[in-house]
Amino acid sequence: MSSPFTGTRHLVRLILRRDRWILPAWIVGLGGTITASALAVPSFYDTPEKVAGYAGAVGTSPVSHLMSGRQAGIDTLGGIVANEISQVAQLGICLMVMFLVVRHTRAEEESGRAELVRSTVVGRHAATLAALLYGVAAALVIGLVTTVSMLAVDLGLLGSVTYGAGLTLLGLCYVAITLVAVQVATSAREALGLAGAAIAVGYLVRGVGAMQDNALVWVSPFGWAQRMDAFGAEQWWPAVPVVLLTAALLGVAGWLTVHRDFAGGVLPARPGRPRASRFLGTPLGLTLRLQRGLLIGWAVGLTALGLLYGAVMPTIPDLVASNPDIAEVIGASPDVEQALTDAFLRYIFLFMAAASCGFVVTSVLRLRAEEESGRAELVLATGVRRTSWMAAAAVVAFAGVLLLTLLMGLGLAVGYAVGTGEWDRVVEHVGGQTSYLPGVLVVAALAVAVVGLWPRRSLLAWAVVAFVVVQVLLGETLRLPSWVDAVSPFSHLPEVPVEDFDPVPGLVELALAAGAVGWGLWAFRRRDVTTP
Amino acid sequence: MAAVELEGVVKTFGAVRALDGVDLTVEAGEVHGFLGPNGAGKSTAIRVLLGLLKADSGRATLLGGDPWGEAAELHRRIAYVPGDVALWPGLTGGEVIDVLARLRGGLDERRRAETIERFEFDPTKKCRTYSKGNRQKVALIAALASRAELYLLDEPTSGLDPLMEKEFQQAVLELKDEGATVLLSSHILAEAEALSDRISIIRAGQVVQSGSLAELRHLTRTTVIAETARSAAHLAEVDGVHHPRFVGARITFDVDSVHLDAAVQALAPLGVRSLSVHPPTLEELFLRQYGEEATA
Repeated sequence: MSSPFTGTRHLVRLILRRDRWILPAWIVGLGGTITASALAVPSFYDTPEKVAGYAGAVGTSPVSHLMSGRQAGIDTLGGIVANEISQVAQLGICLMVMFLVVRHTRAEEESGRAELVRSTVVGRHAATLAALLYGVAAALVIGLVTTVSMLAVDLGLLGSVTYGAGLTLLGLCYVAITLVAVQVATSAREALGLAGAAIAVGYLVRGVGAMQDNALVWVSPFGWAQRMDAFGAEQWWPAVPVVLLTAALLGVAGWLTVHRDFAGGVLPARPGRPRASRFLGTPLGLTLRLQRGLLIGWAVGLTALGLLYGAVMPTIPDLVASNPDIAEVIGASPDVEQALTDAFLRYIFLFMAAASCGFVVTSVLRLRAEEESGRAELVLATGVRRTSWMAAAAVVAFAGVLLLTLLMGLGLAVGYAVGTGEWDRVVEHVGGQTSYLPGVLVVAALAVAVVGLWPRRSLLAWAVVAFVVVQVLLGETLRLPSWVDAVSPFSHLPEVPVEDFDPVPGLVELALAAGAVGWGLWAFRRRDVTTP
Repeated sequence: MAAVELEGVVKTFGAVRALDGVDLTVEAGEVHGFLGPNGAGKSTAIRVLLGLLKADSGRATLLGGDPWGEAAELHRRIAYVPGDVALWPGLTGGEVIDVLARLRGGLDERRRAETIERFEFDPTKKCRTYSKGNRQKVALIAALASRAELYLLDEPTSGLDPLMEKEFQQAVLELKDEGATVLLSSHILAEAEALSDRISIIRAGQVVQSGSLAELRHLTRTTVIAETARSAAHLAEVDGVHHPRFVGARITFDVDSVHLDAAVQALAPLGVRSLSVHPPTLEELFLRQYGEEATA
């Protein structure tokens, strides 16, 4: 008997075999970070005074609300742990299921391997179901690891289970969202873009809702998961909308699977230009054209992020006024508002700089995709020098992230001005964001070096990004040893605007970045080009 | 001067010896067939010639230059078609043809138009929608549309239909008339037989035979089928005759090309009623090369 799901079991086994390193890497990386944080936090809050202090400071901080939402039971150890890990755990689980699901659906179709598999006895929905089961299983493992590590520090059974369940449900919801994105998109990259945008929107909507303390929280799966109120008055009914949305999305994904062609998208392909524009005849022009979509997508996303953060910034004084606790903790001086706004800005600058590391590494690692597909061979068999080919990619990544940095700063300034009518902060915001750029360029340069030196270990470049993000988001929670903090390029840059700008560390980092790029180019000239 | 020269080229990937001392000479102006089964080292040899891979030892010369050290300069004088063409999914076929030709250093507009028409190619579609044959056409058109001294074609017709295959053969003959050199790697023997002046057969990383088709045939056996009035049983005793088979009055045997004369002399007095002699096809040459090595 064959059903639309025939062969699912074999596909799941194939997925597990292919991901025997990738899945454990996600679980160890993400689960390990969550566990380490959960284990580290309680020792810092070992007296009721310290717990109360956290609740007073962080629990009322608009930055914390924007980034981590309003965590229930923030005046208990459980709430503190949940609040500290929530950013990495929630964003991490969503990104994990997104990458895993796209990898085994759209990317497989694109490579042509899926065609081979589906010509065997495999039902129409088997591939979708296999990816669903796989994504859900991965989310379950992360949820379980989180619950267990919370139990390991005696955070209470009900709270720990509720938190882990909320996290897993969030992952489940984004598995379904990704499965729809996969059907709508015409390529794996487009699917990643759509699903990534859905994660960003869900995260930001919850953040703004929590910051302003309004109903927006209930528009986002992030909000639903959090409003299960682990470590507060646990309630399980917010799981209902998550499950309903997931079921509806799976229905849509199933319907789309039936109504589109294999390897096609919902939107039909249009005819294009029969001739290349003059601009395309150089390695730089070609690279720019190939990364146009990537750059536009990131530019739109990060500009919107800047606008949003800029728009909420003016509300900080009001939030302080309505919350005498903050003043109590920081000190009741007229500078309190300024200090809070500076701290907010500094964190936003750092957060957006870390986010833009995602762009530079994606951009630089396109070199590897070009090599592995055989397209690099086609270009390098023409009159293009290897160094020109690689340098073109580095230029696009560096110039691209410079553009993104300016746009993020401008977004902040414009968002701020729209709310306040004050247009005189543009230089301050753009300059402040740019002061963090050297750190991003170091990450980009390391990616170039990896491509030149260890082409088959290009995931190392993503490990650098993962480290930087964890250091930025969790560095204080984990109380990393100072030498570990020192590895991050952002640790050495002045904390603008909390500290005054100092050009020296940035210039030193630029020199290091130039050296790493040179090293990568040198190594690439001396190695074999990877051919398929 | 030879257009391509490989002398004792060795290339290893980990424990695998992909090229195990390859010797290959392609004279300027000839079409050289480069034959071998999958995995014999054809593509690896071509990639060494393109400077994409660095040989572990041995000497490679391309148009008188060093393919590793002077890659970019040499590439302006050559055109390359890989056997499995990967293209940018978001660019159209027409754009890719222009990009590759311009990066090589020039595009002959007339040839571009002619070749697109010849291969009945639609340049307005996005590459992600092209079939394998159409992707192959993109690389072929990009190569043929630029005037090169040397064409390195690595199984260029895989995925093409027979009509397009014929157009391809015609195009290669035109290149030869213009004085260009072509290194044509293939496992389609009819194609190589129709086009090649000389042929090299590669097996397990070594060139095992090299020469014109006539020379290669001379090294091997001719098949003779004769019907004779009197018994031909003693033919089995003649030097160089192999595998005589008798069916009634008919004898079929293979004979080493150098002993053909003696065999025919021996047949003549027997009253020959019918006689057919055919030289080995390239396919037989090829299969024999592998069959003998396999049984040895």
